[in-house]
Amino acid sequence: MSTTTKTDYLLLFRGNVWDRGLSPAQLQKVVSDWMAWFERLKAEGKCLGGHPLEDEGKVVSGKQGRAVADGPFAESKEAIGGYFYLQVADEGEAIEIARQCPGLEYGAVVEVRPVADVCSVKQRAQEYSKSELAGATA
Amino acid sequence: MLLFRGPHWDRELSTDELQQTMDKVMAWFEGLNERGRIKAAQPLGGQGRVITGTDGRFVVDGPFTETKEAVGGYLLLQADSLDEAVEIARSMPTLRYGISVEVRPILAECPIFRRHPELVRRDTDPAAEELWITAAA
Repeated sequence: MSTTTKTDYLLLFRGNVWDRGLSPAQLQKVVSDWMAWFERLKAEGKCLGGHPLEDEGKVVSGKQGRAVADGPFAESKEAIGGYFYLQVADEGEAIEIARQCPGLEYGAVVEVRPVADVCSVKQRAQEYSKSELAGATA
Repeated sequence: MLLFRGPHWDRELSTDELQQTMDKVMAWFEGLNERGRIKAAQPLGGQGRVITGTDGRFVVDGPFTETKEAVGGYLLLQADSLDEAVEIARSMPTLRYGISVEVRPILAECPIFRRHPELVRRDTDPAAEELWITAAA
């Protein structure tokens, strides 16, 4: 399990069709640049890991997960195509790294998300309980 | 990888219901962990940024985590097959409150190489290879 700190960020790479229409030379360059970028970040200790994701998967929803659909839609600007796990000084550094993504000039989108210490739902539940308690003792 | 979408499923629940559900979620999580199924898992904070454009010239606040599509957390699962991963996803206790779980196989190699077999794949060192296929642990 990972140790969560305030300096952990996830980069989510969105869009899995931006490579369409690129010339072989452009493609070769962008994938080579991407691998070199990943390896440099790891060597610098700023990226702890990452994966590309298979285009095809399943989406599970409904009570007891009764609905299992193929998905996500294979061709989408929103679909998540992979991620990097970053450990950096602050949000500014995470954004700076995201801006170096070689796919950006072809339309890839990078979402930068802080890794939370506590699940937001749990936090809301705790805050709610506290306010309930405060109301009860007031 | 399981991506949990729709992080605001708890809005309409009473405190009791929420407490019970969170207990179930924690038990679900611990059960998977005891079976050695979890390689990594974390909730994601609502405050983020979305970066687009050449040289990342556009940086905006986002994503809107109010939506049902927003990713609220992830779980990197060790499963033998997509079917097994789907079975595990189906046992997630908060599905009944409207979340969805996206189940995506992870790849050792960028799918662009598969779509474009003409590309030359530059050799990488084995340690770097390993990082592509192990969790951010």
